[in-house]
Amino acid sequence: MTLALFSGSVDKLTAAGVILGGAAAEDMDVEIFVLLQAAFAFKKENAMVNDRVAEITDKKDEFLASLERLNTPHWTQAFKTAKEMTNVKIHICGFAGKVWHGEKLDDFIDLADDICGIGEYMASAEESDINLFI
Amino acid sequence: MTTEELTALSVDKSVDARGTSCPGPLLAAKKAIGQIEKGQIMEVLSADEGTRRDIPKWCGKKGFEYLGTVEESGFFKIFLRK
Repeated sequence: MTLALFSGSVDKLTAAGVILGGAAAEDMDVEIFVLLQAAFAFKKENAMVNDRVAEITDKKDEFLASLERLNTPHWTQAFKTAKEMTNVKIHICGFAGKVWHGEKLDDFIDLADDICGIGEYMASAEESDINLFI
Repeated sequence: MTTEELTALSVDKSVDARGTSCPGPLLAAKKAIGQIEKGQIMEVLSADEGTRRDIPKWCGKKGFEYLGTVEESGFFKIFLRK
């Protein structure tokens, strides 16, 4: 599966984490390409404090409270669990990194494996049965 | 298998995933299946409605035998053979 992860909002990142869990249960290989706004969420200083939501923004507090009530792991934990259970590689788009002043891999959370260009996304998408844009 | 047959099964591994939401129970099952031998039986306890559909599909893909589900008060017991 190839995942073009554009969103930097916790609602969509949480959805991505759920899908990753499904992929992990099936031992699926996953390539994640962290694009533009998602690179913001992957920066070390933002990952745990960013609580923006993309949809139904007027119900943000209810949404976040429900995640807690349902013991939903933070998206970073869901991604980490998937990485532990199956082959998940997380690539930060170099351009996206620069947009958010992240030049080095070390500027991003430990989940990130490398910094890459769009060519790698194209190659991965061509080989994948499932290709999602979130 | 009938409910009576399922409840009479001798289970080799029980996974209580009632405190987690989707995909927690499925991931708990995935982790636990590595701890039993081929032919052994595992039950997964889940309060998540989606899991009762997910586990049979997952069994089909992974080559495990889905044995059936027993509905308890507020949760499901899902049985499978590795």
